[in-house]
Amino acid sequence: MILFEKTLLYSTVAVYLFITLAPLMWVLSTSFKPNEEAISFPPKFLPDNPTLDNYLFVLTDPKLVTSLFNSLLVSIASTALSVAVSALGGYAFARFEFKGKNLLMSTIMGLFMIPVVINIIPLYIMLANVGLLNSLLALILTFQILIIPLNIFLLKNYFETIPKELEEAALIDGCSRLRALWHIIVPISMPGFLIAGILSFRFSWNEFVLPIVLSNKPDVMLFQVALYQFISLYRIDWGYLTAGINIALIPVVVLMLFFQKRMIRGLTLGAVRG
Amino acid sequence: MLQLRTQKLQPYLLLLPALSILIAFLLFPLIWNIYLSVHDVSLTTILGGWKYVGIKNFSNLLYDPDFHKSLQVSLVFVGGSVAIQFFVGMVLAVVLNQEIRGSNTLRALFIIPWTVSAVITGFSFKFIFNDSFGVLNYGLGQMGLNPVAWLSDPGTVVWTLVIANMWHGTPFTVIFLTAGLFSINPLVYEAARIDGATKIKSFFYITLPLLRPFILINLILITMWSVNFFDLILVMTNGGPLFSSTTSSLYMYRQAFEFGLLSKGAAAGFIMIGINLILAFSYIRLFRRQ
Repeated sequence: MILFEKTLLYSTVAVYLFITLAPLMWVLSTSFKPNEEAISFPPKFLPDNPTLDNYLFVLTDPKLVTSLFNSLLVSIASTALSVAVSALGGYAFARFEFKGKNLLMSTIMGLFMIPVVINIIPLYIMLANVGLLNSLLALILTFQILIIPLNIFLLKNYFETIPKELEEAALIDGCSRLRALWHIIVPISMPGFLIAGILSFRFSWNEFVLPIVLSNKPDVMLFQVALYQFISLYRIDWGYLTAGINIALIPVVVLMLFFQKRMIRGLTLGAVRG
Repeated sequence: MLQLRTQKLQPYLLLLPALSILIAFLLFPLIWNIYLSVHDVSLTTILGGWKYVGIKNFSNLLYDPDFHKSLQVSLVFVGGSVAIQFFVGMVLAVVLNQEIRGSNTLRALFIIPWTVSAVITGFSFKFIFNDSFGVLNYGLGQMGLNPVAWLSDPGTVVWTLVIANMWHGTPFTVIFLTAGLFSINPLVYEAARIDGATKIKSFFYITLPLLRPFILINLILITMWSVNFFDLILVMTNGGPLFSSTTSSLYMYRQAFEFGLLSKGAAAGFIMIGINLILAFSYIRLFRRQ
């Protein structure tokens, strides 16, 4: 019975592990093949003539390179902005009792569930009217709606695990709330900030709906959109495209793998206390 | 006295930056959507001078067979996606919670697809599912099976999308339910075991009831994400062949940004907000009644 159970467990895991990794491995292998080999049939699992040409092509195409820098800039800026404002907000929720607190918190979490697609039309018209269409600033600002609610939730839960006494001593000594937050809470909340930051980066880096609508001019394009245009404009060159895919994957996958243990713990903490 | 008053204001001041961003870019557009849906706004009249047209945008939608078709496609896509992701996610979360060697490493590997963007998932699967040179059909051929027209058969294409969405979305359910499982005190299982409960019994009588709040939120989130899912579909099929994989969210996008009918898109968006709300509240009621 126990043996049967074990076999069942491990084979379930093995099957899904294959489903998870096989597509990635296939894309990885294709990215090192010359273009004609990439679509050869029957497919070759490993490249016959491995080459870095696909990567060189992507990394020297001026449009794609610009978009790569734009993506990095927008993701880092929107992560920083959202973590900063969510820290203030999360701190208010964690340390104060005020009118409408619960209502406000559930409204914020409810808003998080509203998908951004629904808002793209009004956002487009609104940004067109204030002249912010096709600007990186518009992306940084609109990306906030994807991540602020989650960050407030995570950071509020993190702050609540920190004993109040730590700041109280400082407050009695005449320290202001903001200074207490900055000098006492922030330094010991780094694990919480790390999780919020990684998740924010992941959401910003991967976002496609907002940038394809709000900024599709070459100089303000993001990488995911540039890749999409890349396949729609030319015939699909799978060698180039798979190389682009892997470049897009590197930052988030590395971050996630590197910090996954803390991630699960952090999310669990948030979930349990939420 | 003054100090007391600023004390009271403090939490609101701390919340001000976050709230003003959310109000400007989330709440305002959401409400403004209603206004737009009863006016005539197109890409050419975007800067103002909008005519009030009453419910014309909505009646146009009502008589548009493509919109009806998109609702049907959405129904299949959402139903399939949610059922599969929830089932597979639950099985994996529970399996990984057993005493399995390397379960932490496995969790890390299972998360990867969720870190991959929907667009990238779409590209990858478009390649793998390719009718003529795709590796999947090659694999089927090697096993003696007939190749499937994954992306060009109108009857199959939605399910192809469901599979790609499963790959991309299931890890979220795994993480989320794992968080739920972690929150259950292991002593509860111990007590049940001593009382002679089998593993299957303790799953149905302990795990499931205790997981209920997690299951509810998980179902609401994956349902909404599926209803509004659109980037992966745009990349993989662009709604085709014909309209066979145009979900309502893709329909809305195309009305607005391909045909320039912004207010017709807004009306479709309004209907989708309604669908989202109805679904969320039905889940909540369903879970409360039990």
